[in-house]
Amino acid sequence: MDKRKDHELLREAGKMVDRCDRCGTCLPVCPLFGVKGVEATSARGKNTIARALAGGGIEPTREVLDVVNFCLLCRACVDTCPAKVPTDEAMVDVRQHLTDLAGGADVKYRLIGGVLKRPGVVKAAAAALSILRRSGLNGLFPYGMAPEEYTRAHFLTAFAGPAALGQKAPPSAVTVTGRTKVAYFRGCGMEMMFPEAAAQTRDILKTTTSLLVKQNVCCGLPHLAHGLREEFLSLARQNIRLFEEAEVVVSDCASCGATLKHLSSFFADDPAWRDRAAAFSGKVMDLTEYLEKVGYLPRQKADVVFTYHDPCHLVRGQGITRPPRELLKAAGSFVEMKEADVCCGGAGSFHVDYPDAAAQILEKKRRNIEKTGAAVVVTGCPGCLIQLAKAAKASDGKFKAMHISQVI
Amino acid sequence: MITEEIKQKIRDIVGTDHVLDSELNRFGYSYDSSFIPLLPANKPDLVVRPLTTEEVSRVMVVACEHEISVTPRGAASGRTGGSIPLKGGISLCLDRMTRIVELDERNMMVTAESGLRTIDLYNHCAASGLFYPPDPASWKFSTIGGNVAENAGGMRAVKYGVTKNYVMGLEVVLADGAVLRTGGKAIKNVTGYDLTSLFTGSEGTLGVVTQALFRLIPMPKRRGTLEVMFRTLDDGCRTIHTMLQSGVVPAAAEIMDRTCLEVVARHRKTDLDPEVGACTIIEIDGDDDAALETQAGRIEEAAKTCGAVAFRTARSQQEADDIWAVRRGISSAVAALAPNRIGEDISVPRDAFPEVVRRIREISEKQGLPIAVYGHAGDGNIHPSILCDLGKPGEEERVHHAVDDIFAAALSVGGTLSGEHGIGITKRPYIVNALGDVGVRTLKAVKAALDPKGILNPGKIW
Repeated sequence: MDKRKDHELLREAGKMVDRCDRCGTCLPVCPLFGVKGVEATSARGKNTIARALAGGGIEPTREVLDVVNFCLLCRACVDTCPAKVPTDEAMVDVRQHLTDLAGGADVKYRLIGGVLKRPGVVKAAAAALSILRRSGLNGLFPYGMAPEEYTRAHFLTAFAGPAALGQKAPPSAVTVTGRTKVAYFRGCGMEMMFPEAAAQTRDILKTTTSLLVKQNVCCGLPHLAHGLREEFLSLARQNIRLFEEAEVVVSDCASCGATLKHLSSFFADDPAWRDRAAAFSGKVMDLTEYLEKVGYLPRQKADVVFTYHDPCHLVRGQGITRPPRELLKAAGSFVEMKEADVCCGGAGSFHVDYPDAAAQILEKKRRNIEKTGAAVVVTGCPGCLIQLAKAAKASDGKFKAMHISQVI
Repeated sequence: MITEEIKQKIRDIVGTDHVLDSELNRFGYSYDSSFIPLLPANKPDLVVRPLTTEEVSRVMVVACEHEISVTPRGAASGRTGGSIPLKGGISLCLDRMTRIVELDERNMMVTAESGLRTIDLYNHCAASGLFYPPDPASWKFSTIGGNVAENAGGMRAVKYGVTKNYVMGLEVVLADGAVLRTGGKAIKNVTGYDLTSLFTGSEGTLGVVTQALFRLIPMPKRRGTLEVMFRTLDDGCRTIHTMLQSGVVPAAAEIMDRTCLEVVARHRKTDLDPEVGACTIIEIDGDDDAALETQAGRIEEAAKTCGAVAFRTARSQQEADDIWAVRRGISSAVAALAPNRIGEDISVPRDAFPEVVRRIREISEKQGLPIAVYGHAGDGNIHPSILCDLGKPGEEERVHHAVDDIFAAALSVGGTLSGEHGIGITKRPYIVNALGDVGVRTLKAVKAALDPKGILNPGKIW
């Protein structure tokens, strides 16, 4: 059990942000400060508020919760910080602390958390969505089951039809030993919003291994991010148990992957789970990371120009930038966009909670995508894909947004 | 206190969205990057974010009429408390004023508003082959107005000088709201007092700088970065002196001690050679690769005669950027080593650098406090960082003694309290030691003449 008390969380967050020198290095890279310009919206501002909260100089009010909620958890600040202050972790801890003080998470987050927590719910995606709709929460998933989803079939028709057949990629050189037990982690976002892409992921994985598909539960990130820490830990334990027989756990969702890879740190002081969690985290791989390891080659080379958006939880969460780009180069031609690793503004439910700020951030992203002239922007995160699908719509057909599984 | 009526007047001037008065927003403008304690917070009563000089002027008229303190602020990246609203009142945040007014390529000059980030000014000029050299370590986020108000230095001072060497003219809103324009594009200009120089480095106490005109120089065509490791800081300093005396003037010559290198190694998860006690990072520039090679060759020679243990030339821009990123991030990385870091900014004649560093070592041992040292060895500007825990009993007193001794050491070799950070709040108690009574009296006379009500950035410098 997680025995940490509320004030311990605040103290821990306080220790993290204590290292902040208030130098301002994070100001130009914080996407929210970029659109709002007010100190409290920046990483430095939020860290300093957290520090004052821990030091007793600021009262724990609803206003403070609003400030710490207004964070994409994108880690752009952490990446650039000379003292490596983990702003995202501190914000999550302060959210939890304030939520506990207020007597539990906001009803909205509790509902979403409840939906995502139920075992088997990812299988019953439609049912889950109907619950969401009934609860008036469908705004979280703005375009229903497949928000502006562009399927692999669409992709092949448009870009890899007969004219492109001559450029078929060489046969895949993958050799998988029968001993490697590879499992697929079904992410809620992928299953509920991009089932076609998730199916593609499984198809790709099956060309490399005899795939284990488990009825896993949510990775717990939405719970952790919004003050439902106990639920997060309980989900984590279920998943750890479930995947004990697997040697590799592949995720096609950047956020699930990053969360699962970091699980071990949440159990570091729990003797019963420490080793199991560390073993589990050690075998999680992003889809592209796995495909690179097994030498996967795309199923076709299409006459299409791709650009790539780095999900925060892949680039900063897992340090993965090269494998997806290499796969795209093998599947078509590739052009890099400006600020590819800047957050798209999606950030879980951030885009629903703060639609204006999210839209302003996305607008910059759309312009950067359009400047590349690419026909398809590819990414590896359903959260980003929702945002990018909106950008694609706003671009008036200049580009499509797709998950990497759909194009390789 | 600022009454609702006055607040409304100010909202009418700059727009409701740009006047902040909530508790948390006021807190956000209560600190800068100095070691002034965060709590109790020095909150302004009101945060005002104007967009134009005219708005600044009208806000100052209101402030002057009601005798409200006004503390100008850019990115609050200063190290001495310059932008902290010590007496409350208005935090006048200029970060929305980011226009580049004009790039005059024929005269090689640029006019920019105060809130523009230094790096954006640099990049804008660089795109036309023009060079704005001052590069404080904070250049990616500091504002140009703050650079002018603090007369910021940087890495390239050894060859190219500091901010004031490039300021040709200023637009300044005075305490009563009048708009003053100083200097101009004429290179020779002795008409009247040199007000441009007076306001440069005035730390927001004499007026609000809203625009600045800078001269530019042609962009060096080639740049190179060298990293040299030494057993001791002395060897590093000697190399830099030997190099300068032999006629090689590097664009930058930085030095850092073992403590700093250990922080870097920890962040990069690399091992530090136990033999290495200091590192110098040198930037050279010139017209072509041959010019760089000649300089690099002579520096390597000097380094060898001074006992260098490793010599590396950056082979790509990426490698050079990485090396400089280490140096630029040192200050904040060192700060994270201890619960509190008291960073100083003394500046001494170049040849006194090793002597002062030796004295700092002695002070460190005497007070039992670790002191990390890095700085601009090329120009004699040293940043000793006292690592401490002010929560420990007796620690604060030891820190005070250490700071006193560091300043005394600097002054005794003909140096001064601040090379580039300004006096602000943190060095105020020492200014009379540096300038003498007559010096401080003269500063006060200037202040009284320009700001008789004392509303501009009160509580700073002395």
